[in-house]
Amino acid sequence: MKKDILLVFAAVILVAVLLMGTEFQSVEDYYLTHIDDITADSETVTLSIDCTDILNNYDRLTPSLKSEKYIPSDGYILKETTYVLRNGDTAFDILKRAAQYNKIQMEYQGAEENPFGSAYVKGINYIYEFSCGETSGWIYKVNGISPGYGCSRYELKDGDNLEWIFTCSLGSSPEYTEKGGDKQ
Amino acid sequence: MKAFSKVHPFVLMVYFLSVLLVAMFVNNPAVQLTALAGGIAFCAMLTTLKEKVSDLKFYLPLLILISVTNPLFSYNGETPLFFMNGNAVTLEAIIYGVAIGVMIIAVMLWCKGYSYIMTSDKFLFLFGKAVPKLSMVISTALRYIPMLRRQAKGVSRAQRAMGLYTSESYFDKLRFSLRVFSVLVGWSLESAVETGRAMKARGFELKRHSSYSDFRITKSDVTLLLLHIALMCITLTGTAAGAVDFSYYPSISQLTTKPLSIAVYSAFFIISFIPFFIEVEERIKWSCCKSKISVLHTQRPRKKPWTIFHFL
Repeated sequence: MKKDILLVFAAVILVAVLLMGTEFQSVEDYYLTHIDDITADSETVTLSIDCTDILNNYDRLTPSLKSEKYIPSDGYILKETTYVLRNGDTAFDILKRAAQYNKIQMEYQGAEENPFGSAYVKGINYIYEFSCGETSGWIYKVNGISPGYGCSRYELKDGDNLEWIFTCSLGSSPEYTEKGGDKQ
Repeated sequence: MKAFSKVHPFVLMVYFLSVLLVAMFVNNPAVQLTALAGGIAFCAMLTTLKEKVSDLKFYLPLLILISVTNPLFSYNGETPLFFMNGNAVTLEAIIYGVAIGVMIIAVMLWCKGYSYIMTSDKFLFLFGKAVPKLSMVISTALRYIPMLRRQAKGVSRAQRAMGLYTSESYFDKLRFSLRVFSVLVGWSLESAVETGRAMKARGFELKRHSSYSDFRITKSDVTLLLLHIALMCITLTGTAAGAVDFSYYPSISQLTTKPLSIAVYSAFFIISFIPFFIEVEERIKWSCCKSKISVLHTQRPRKKPWTIFHFL
């Protein structure tokens, strides 16, 4: 009986590993990304990763994150930087490439696992969804407007200004909903 | 043999519930390890060597499996070891997995001890008056699974003794287990009806039936309860005050060694080793008694010196 439980458990884990694929990378390999050099004729976008909203709601933050190491004092994990836009790059692709290049920790749910068919960013720089209250999480804005698409479905154009923002009050924050964000 | 089972059921219930509560909900490695150690010491007193070996064969792989599972689904943590499909497998996630495993095994061991000690008569004694139907259903349901297992063993042995399904082929084994299962289903339905009728015949449905119970609260029970409540107060207030807060993500926090947290650790240590101490005390007493008995039986009347001379 007990042996069976263990066997079933082991089989489930094995299946999970096999289904998720088994591509192993060392830490150096993972962070060793190629980033295109900016030339005169390359299309570019700017990206910033911003968690200033946490500084306004510091008391709600998970205690283990209350450190300069995780929340920079100016609130910017990545200050506005220009990146080359490859053909067909989405808001998610740019973020992932930049995070890998700058060795910023990031966790996401891939588009194939997500019921909405788009990647979902769970956490950047150890700051996760729900880290700062129940309505907190990562959103993105393009040119100051939050598009009503999943981040891996929104293709960027030349000269776009992409911002990834950690909001502590998703849904109720006026700047998010009134400009056509996906109201629930 | 089981001295702890002589303690009053109410004290036992309070004890087990509070230990399980702390073991489940206080997320601190020191507390979890204490709960595990206490559970191991307690169960070691209750089981035979053979059972211990089979338990070890179950719990160790379980611990490893749980520890492996967590990093597959949780990628948070500061120290990535390697990346699997673009997701980090981190040291923190593995350690958190081990912590979850320790917690689950500790809770399982305490539940095992609970099922050894809190027999259904004690359970019915506690809740029979307040919620008679529910406690009846619960104690019947708890009894059901071990009873079915025993019966399944019996059925399969009887079938084998008749020479059925002794072949090694998997298809035969499957057919055999299906047959045992169908026998079991029929038997359990019948026994359920029979149990109901027997209880009715013995007057279970009468309004003013009484039941026999021989549980009187003694002085030592009260002492144990008061000690337990006092220690539990220390543990719970310390936990509520955040003295044993611990976090695994994004980096593993240090174990606090403030006076209050040390008080919590030691209070919970004493709590979780209470059954062990009681059993040990009982065993020492028993071995003293045994040595006295053996002395009484082996003592022969000493021959007086002059008898030897007498024979000479």
